[in-house]
Amino acid sequence: MAKLKTLLENAHLLRYSLFYLCGVQQVRLRVHLRMPCICTFFNSVLVLSFLIVCITQTPVYAGFKIGENGPRINGFFENDLGLKLGNDSTKRDEFNLFEQRLQIKTKLYPEWNKALVDWMAAIDAKADFTVDEYFNGRTNAQWRLLNLSLSPVGWLDLKAGRQVFTWGTGDYLFINDLFPKDYVSFYIGRDDEYLKKPSDGIKASLYSEISNVDIIIIPEFEPNTLFNGQRVSFFDAFQGGISGVNSQRTLNEPSQNPENAEYAMRVYRSFESYEAAAYFFRGFWKSPRGYLDEMNRVLFYPRLDAYGMSLRGPGLGGIANAEFGYYNSRQDDNGDNRLIQNSTLKFMVGYAKDLGNDLSVGVQYLFEQTLDYDNYSSALMGADYVWDEYRHLNTMRITKLYKNQTVRAGLFIFFSPSDLDGYIRPTMDYDLNDALKLTFGANLPWGEDTHTEFGQSEHNKNIYSRVKYSF
Amino acid sequence: MIKLITKSLFFGIVFCLLLMSPNKIIAAETVEEIIVKANNVAYYEGKDGRSNVKMTITDAQGRNRVREFTILRFDIEDGKEQKYYVYFNKPADVQDMVYMVWKYLDRDDDRWLYLPALDLVRRIAANDNRSSFVGSNFVYEDISGRGLALDNHELISSEGDVFKIKNTPKDSADVEFSYFEVYIQKSNFVPVKAEYYDKQGKLYKIVEAIEVKDINGHPTVTKSKATDLAVGSNTVIDFLNVEYDLGIEDEIFTERYLRRPPRKWLN
Repeated sequence: MAKLKTLLENAHLLRYSLFYLCGVQQVRLRVHLRMPCICTFFNSVLVLSFLIVCITQTPVYAGFKIGENGPRINGFFENDLGLKLGNDSTKRDEFNLFEQRLQIKTKLYPEWNKALVDWMAAIDAKADFTVDEYFNGRTNAQWRLLNLSLSPVGWLDLKAGRQVFTWGTGDYLFINDLFPKDYVSFYIGRDDEYLKKPSDGIKASLYSEISNVDIIIIPEFEPNTLFNGQRVSFFDAFQGGISGVNSQRTLNEPSQNPENAEYAMRVYRSFESYEAAAYFFRGFWKSPRGYLDEMNRVLFYPRLDAYGMSLRGPGLGGIANAEFGYYNSRQDDNGDNRLIQNSTLKFMVGYAKDLGNDLSVGVQYLFEQTLDYDNYSSALMGADYVWDEYRHLNTMRITKLYKNQTVRAGLFIFFSPSDLDGYIRPTMDYDLNDALKLTFGANLPWGEDTHTEFGQSEHNKNIYSRVKYSF
Repeated sequence: MIKLITKSLFFGIVFCLLLMSPNKIIAAETVEEIIVKANNVAYYEGKDGRSNVKMTITDAQGRNRVREFTILRFDIEDGKEQKYYVYFNKPADVQDMVYMVWKYLDRDDDRWLYLPALDLVRRIAANDNRSSFVGSNFVYEDISGRGLALDNHELISSEGDVFKIKNTPKDSADVEFSYFEVYIQKSNFVPVKAEYYDKQGKLYKIVEAIEVKDINGHPTVTKSKATDLAVGSNTVIDFLNVEYDLGIEDEIFTERYLRRPPRKWLN
């Protein structure tokens, strides 16, 4: 009887798996077998063996252990496939996401020294291995995390090594979180986890009755991953419009020397149910906001200081938040250098509420003002693109869960009334069982103009699917 | 004649008193005293507590899903404010996720959810107490308790070894039930069963204690089950390795330990 039940469960799985495989095959036809055969073959073998493992084996929910008291290994394997809905001059028109990813993570507690035990030493390691069909099956291995945590005294935590830094109160909006982001992953439909890029650095967290302090030092600059025309087309002022593989920009990163280290600090505490924080950042713009050499199409990352504050807590029957930031563009203090982004003011308010029945909504409003705008306008030259002084951006998130929370339907909308552009992100997750999850989604940016944040990627609309097996 | 009646009444009362077990004497307590005691037994035993929890969710088609987590609890004051720290072990895609609650009686709870993949501490609104907890047949309120002041309580029976109490919400707009009846064991005040009736007065959900054990003098539910009669699904919770008065520090229940789970309490 039990066997029959398992069999039926497997049949259920098989149905969905075959459905997925068919999806893959359809794409194959669409790309007219342009991909090298070896890559297609490799991918098929991977997907097939993956599905066979999923179907024939009882899912190993909790990973596996190495030895009796050894570390526990967890992770996932997934196949991502994203079809492009528009044509432009990127490397491929048919799809912009087709990859297999294996993530392996573990946590070690080194105990070969008494100090390490007393200091509660822990090593976090997480590595990703990918086969990227977009670039003809290019393989890649990357440490997402590799760091050592220590608590030498009761009021101090230290974490050194590769880690993801993040803070602030926004939902997909970042004012005081000036740590690197991967917007290409975001736009092509990779999991949210990949929006935040890891950095190599040290974080010291100090705790006291009065307030808590986080201090972060990043010795080597890590920029945002932005559109460069290979996978996602974008507005390239040098090309005078939307650009793909024809873009020939050079992005000059700050060199690795002590003067170019980045520093970030957050001071935070709670007042009853309200969380207040103050932020400071000294480093560089994370996107290339300055022209170094117009003739040779070289951009660079100008120096940036940022000061900010945030407040978050219950309000109006939900959770309300507000955040403020002042960006001081240090290499263009007065704003009269037309080649470097001016100082900027940013302000945001947000509100989220659960409406019951597994339905929740969230709204946000972001205001941005380019400071010293008069100086900027008077410094402009004839052929320059003119950026607006003000930008208003609204967002909305709706999430609804169905079937005992195994199905999650989500919608996230960006809309800017000042830029007349927006970005719609619907998603649908389905937990087939505790280990296997299907995701479908779309990325739909649009805009009236070609040079606005979302308008520039209008031709990159895509729909994607992901099958993910966690262990 | 009157003398005779008085006499027999007197003997009758004495006879009854002699026959009464200690439990029967407890029955003289007011409904408020009973529910306060039951609430303390269900949610406030010891100064602090911990348990490894295995939750098995079975849907109407008989498919199982399993969640494993560790609950840490810290009481500020019995019957009043307390803090919960829920650390998820399984399934793999929610491993290291932490759900934290600061429970108040006079206002909405504060709740946080730590998402390890994003290293994100999210505040969650606390007005969804009747929503399903991690997709199970238990709701948030079943895990951390329902405020006693939210309902009117009425002792409708004290027959046998249980009190049966009917609880009617003061504000019925907030909840999906019209009332629920709780069965409380007289001997130790453990609530052993709750039956929920929908707006049409039909029984649709049962939450019951399957196994009660004495752990260091604390009567403890070690296995419980929630059944959704309308849908046909159920959830069984096994509370394993229940321990009390461990000296869990108040500071564990802060953002610091969301990011750095306190290993010594979680193993």
